[in-house]
Amino acid sequence: MNKRERVLKTLNIEEPDMVPITEMDIEIPLMETIVGKKFPATTSLQTQVVVDKELEKKSTEFRIECYQKLDFDLILTDLSAPEGWKPKVDSEGKMVDLWGRILALDKQTRAWVPYDTIFKSPEDFDNFELPNPDAHGWTLATEHAKKILEDRLAIAAFIRDPFAQSWEMFTPLNFVRWTYQNPQVIKKAIEKIADFNIEIIKRLAETGADLIISGGDYCEEKGPMVPIKFFDEVIFPNLKRQVEAAHKNGMKLIKHTDGNINPLLESLSNIVDGLHSLDPTAGVDIGEVKERYGDRLVLIGNIAVDSLAKKNKEEIILETKNVIKKASPGGGHIISSSNSWASGAKLENCLTMVKTSREHGAYPIKI
Amino acid sequence: MANLKDVILQMKDVQEVKKCVNDELKSGLEPIEIVNELAEALLKVGEKYENGEYFLSELMMAGILATEVINLLDPYLTKDQESETKIKIVIGTVKGDIHDIGKNIVIMMLRAVGFQVLDLGVDVSAEKFMDSIRNEQPKVLGMSALLTSTINEMKNVIDVIKNEGLRESVKIIIGGRPVSEEFAQEIGADGYGRDSVDAIKVVKDFIS
Repeated sequence: MNKRERVLKTLNIEEPDMVPITEMDIEIPLMETIVGKKFPATTSLQTQVVVDKELEKKSTEFRIECYQKLDFDLILTDLSAPEGWKPKVDSEGKMVDLWGRILALDKQTRAWVPYDTIFKSPEDFDNFELPNPDAHGWTLATEHAKKILEDRLAIAAFIRDPFAQSWEMFTPLNFVRWTYQNPQVIKKAIEKIADFNIEIIKRLAETGADLIISGGDYCEEKGPMVPIKFFDEVIFPNLKRQVEAAHKNGMKLIKHTDGNINPLLESLSNIVDGLHSLDPTAGVDIGEVKERYGDRLVLIGNIAVDSLAKKNKEEIILETKNVIKKASPGGGHIISSSNSWASGAKLENCLTMVKTSREHGAYPIKI
Repeated sequence: MANLKDVILQMKDVQEVKKCVNDELKSGLEPIEIVNELAEALLKVGEKYENGEYFLSELMMAGILATEVINLLDPYLTKDQESETKIKIVIGTVKGDIHDIGKNIVIMMLRAVGFQVLDLGVDVSAEKFMDSIRNEQPKVLGMSALLTSTINEMKNVIDVIKNEGLRESVKIIIGGRPVSEEFAQEIGADGYGRDSVDAIKVVKDFIS
């Protein structure tokens, strides 16, 4: 059984030969240490920042080298910038992205981070032209990864959730203010971004992506970021449309979100195929989620990013074994941290997580 | 006449909140009494957020409405009343870190309860924090960080303040996803704000 087959079996909630491993992202400084050379570009988990197609391909190759070196089973690919787009960068180095966000470059991680917005009033959105999903180039990274990997590793294409995208596009304060003062603009933005995603999902399926991961948080440490009524009326119907598009194109859709997702679990289990992050520091117990929803949800995550940064090797072994024990039996579990390998994580701990997973993740689980 | 506390708790429209404040002023209520009413409303919102009855967006909306109230009342507050309500705080995201969503929410909530907050922005060096202490003489200094790799800069800032002999002049609060109460104690901060509601409580404890 190769790595891709292992992941596909897991997505069907069956037991493969061993529990697959992945990370949603590895920050550049850690990737450079792992691969032993310099990453060729800057990056962003939120948006498209690389215009040069050759550079985008080299970045994809670098990521593949890193994931293969780590013996991961699943690699994530971002949407690439569409052809013809040129970012505007001001004298202070701030970039306006395709979605109207103003980004600043974090020099340490070399990742672009949303900082401000071009949307100063709800009316600004009426005059804003959202990116065209039919433009060439969006799927370049996924196509390139598929060309290199063929069927050896599984490929997850990463899209952005419309709620999280608009929360950032408008900035959190504007999003909240307009939700109360001009809810139609928020609903319209979420619907339009979902429409965009549905078209993109079709194209990603054509490139050979195996699944979709929808990034962007729904929750913070205490619980959902907006009232559950707003999820039921606006966010979930649009999420459902995207899941249906993925299914229609033969792919599953996994929702990523940090934070305390417990109040949303029942609804999410009826919409998506799996959940990523399952943040234990926000009170999410992967064992409980497995027990209640393990027959219909693929579970990815739950090894705390804080543990990777602060704990020692023995504690990481224990935490990883505990997650395998709770979530792996029966299949439908992919080992991962509760977000990504950030540059503050100790590499020794990250590698221990992988080594422990390989040592104790063979089916049938014997922990 | 609608009660300001109820109007805030019901997340009414900004115009409705302004009308309520104007009506209360016309009815002879002292501006400082309205400020107190507002503080009571925000305390209730904070409680509801803490117990899961309100969500982050509702906490933020209450902060937005409260900021409007404070702006509206500003011209009516006497200098004495102003000095009571406007204790100065400087806040920034530490050097090497450009994340500011959490910081901005904390700033809005602190302003909403009447503090005068100077936002130093993101990627703030120890020198810039020092300059703000010298020039602005704040009662409280706040530092934020999202990245695990940048939280040690908080200790550096505190060490620089100590070396300059200004540590006793300012209370220091820290916050951010990778920060904890233990870490705050370890680096010599005076307090840790788990979230914006908690940060207000900690700052109020500092000055009481």
